[in-house]
Amino acid sequence: MAGQEPEVVIEVAGVSKTFSLSGGSGSLKSRVLERLTGRHKKQVFKALDDVSFTVRRGETLGIIGANGAGKSTLLALLTGTLFPSSGRIRTTGQISSLLELGAGFHPDLTGRENVYLYGAIMGMSRSHMDARFDAIVDFAGLHAFIDQPVKHYSSGMYVRLGFAVAVEVNPDILLIDEVLAVGDSAFQRKCLDKMRAFRREQKTMLIISHDLQTIQRISDRIVLLDKGRLLGSGSPAEMIGEYEGLVRQTESRAVKREWGTGEVRLEEVCLTRHDGTVADAFDAVDGFCVEIGYRAQERVEEPVFGYAISDAEGHLLHGSNTQLAGVEIPVVDGTGRLTLSLGALPLTPGNYLLSCSVHSADHRVNYHRLDHAFAFGIRGQNSSAGPVHVPVQWKWGGRPV
Amino acid sequence: MLETIRAIWMRRELLGILVIRNLKIRYKGSVLGFFWSLLSPALLIVIYGVFAAILRFNAGRPHYLEFLVSGIVVWQFLGMCLNDSLHVVLGNANLVKKTAFPRFILPISMVLANLVNFLLTLLVLVVYLLFAGMPLLGFYLIPVVLLLQMMLCLGLACILSTSNVFMRDTEHILGIGSLAWFFLSPVFYPIQMQLEFLPEHLGWLPFLNPMAGILYAYRTLMMGALMPDTHAVPGWWLLVSVAVCLVVFGLGYFVFQRAQRAFGDVL
Repeated sequence: MAGQEPEVVIEVAGVSKTFSLSGGSGSLKSRVLERLTGRHKKQVFKALDDVSFTVRRGETLGIIGANGAGKSTLLALLTGTLFPSSGRIRTTGQISSLLELGAGFHPDLTGRENVYLYGAIMGMSRSHMDARFDAIVDFAGLHAFIDQPVKHYSSGMYVRLGFAVAVEVNPDILLIDEVLAVGDSAFQRKCLDKMRAFRREQKTMLIISHDLQTIQRISDRIVLLDKGRLLGSGSPAEMIGEYEGLVRQTESRAVKREWGTGEVRLEEVCLTRHDGTVADAFDAVDGFCVEIGYRAQERVEEPVFGYAISDAEGHLLHGSNTQLAGVEIPVVDGTGRLTLSLGALPLTPGNYLLSCSVHSADHRVNYHRLDHAFAFGIRGQNSSAGPVHVPVQWKWGGRPV
Repeated sequence: MLETIRAIWMRRELLGILVIRNLKIRYKGSVLGFFWSLLSPALLIVIYGVFAAILRFNAGRPHYLEFLVSGIVVWQFLGMCLNDSLHVVLGNANLVKKTAFPRFILPISMVLANLVNFLLTLLVLVVYLLFAGMPLLGFYLIPVVLLLQMMLCLGLACILSTSNVFMRDTEHILGIGSLAWFFLSPVFYPIQMQLEFLPEHLGWLPFLNPMAGILYAYRTLMMGALMPDTHAVPGWWLLVSVAVCLVVFGLGYFVFQRAQRAFGDVL
């Protein structure tokens, strides 16, 4: 970028946050008892562990990570509703935030009263809020309900009003936790338009979302959190790739199973691109290779090597073996290698699992099976539902569309 | 402290909204609404008047009813603040969890809402005292006493609201504690009943209870020489109460500001 970079508006330096699990609101009795019996060692949970990053003015930062990674804790610390256990947070400018689907609305107050309450919390004058009130109601699309107590609102209405008011108070920094997950698609589009307008005005945004496609599109940069630690910070595509890898690992760990009698063992299984580079995500049109290294403890005649591809839940989508393919392996003894090359895959983008096996020709003895052991990702344009991609063409009125 | 005052001044709109919300909730669903703030002290005076006459509470003291009613009205302001303080933070959990603002606004808004109520009650009381022929000579000094009482209420509200966040026993302790405090304070008996038990050089001891000084000051300002308390009270005894008010306020402020950082963790 030419010239100097915009100033840092958010600085998070070595921030950790621990919560006491024993619960702070214990009764006097239990506290005194704990003291007397010497059992007052606090159980603590580290929600954030030594996290550091900075955000410059005008930047849109996405925050991704699995549930419990510390994303919401981080936004609460930036908002100022929680305070770090150690480390330092410095922010410049007015911050407006929408934490976990609510702007701190009071259920008994009407939508109108809550809008003014939120404005007052943000330090807006009444006349300022008067000027913006119609825009807020318009945006939320709540004309008929604005004088109803918000406890009668549906969750969608609640979030709509929350987003509308958080945006319309015109903050310098906007923090949003998972608004994209709720609301109908029309409202989501409105939100995204608003966020883009925000970006054009050189405002700073921090967004948490599990909708990876959207967050990739709207963010300039993404930070990846895992179990309270900052795993990385970088370009959206790069970080989302890393996050998907992380998800694949955890997913495959859940359904993974290894078993067999052990006469022949699959010692090494490696997924590569056709040029031989190791990878765990591939373009559907390219396909990939599987390099298998095996070791036979003794002489084994006519072993059959098999593989299977299943979806992330472990449902079989495709499978075959050397026997079905007509590849004859008369005998194995000692170590050896085998290469399986898969062409273009008719799969939609997502995460899949590869299983490998070696068994006897009559399928009676399973020497070694690695079920759902290898997770891989498929990239491409998502244009159909379900795991299988079929090239289609529509005709309407006799003409191709 | 100065910074807190500045931060609160910046959020004065919020303070206003919270005070009005406190008042609205109090009269929510009632037909007479705000009118109750005037009606209930008036009825209180009538009831005490009737029963004091029947039960001969006054024990021969002149102007005992005026003395009793003014004490009860002043005590009520404190009592309401104490009760409301339990919910100052807990009752605003959604705000505290989701938004950032100077938390000190919460106890202030509660005390101010009760102040509005107290001023209306005071209005009724003044009308009654005028009818009863009280001099009300020092009335212009009432705001000073009122300010001290508000500082006491605010300090205690800070301590109780914080305590109730971390320890729900606070509610039960407060119930018993405030009853004991009520009887320890010269609300329906004159301070001289306590002073008679003490040697002259320890006469300042009862004024360690800040309400002793506050009640004495209100009544002196409203009833003047007609007050049934005949025991001489040197000015510096009252200063003991003033000092305690200031200490409680300072302590409450300190405790609240220290603890408020952890509110989000526990709520």
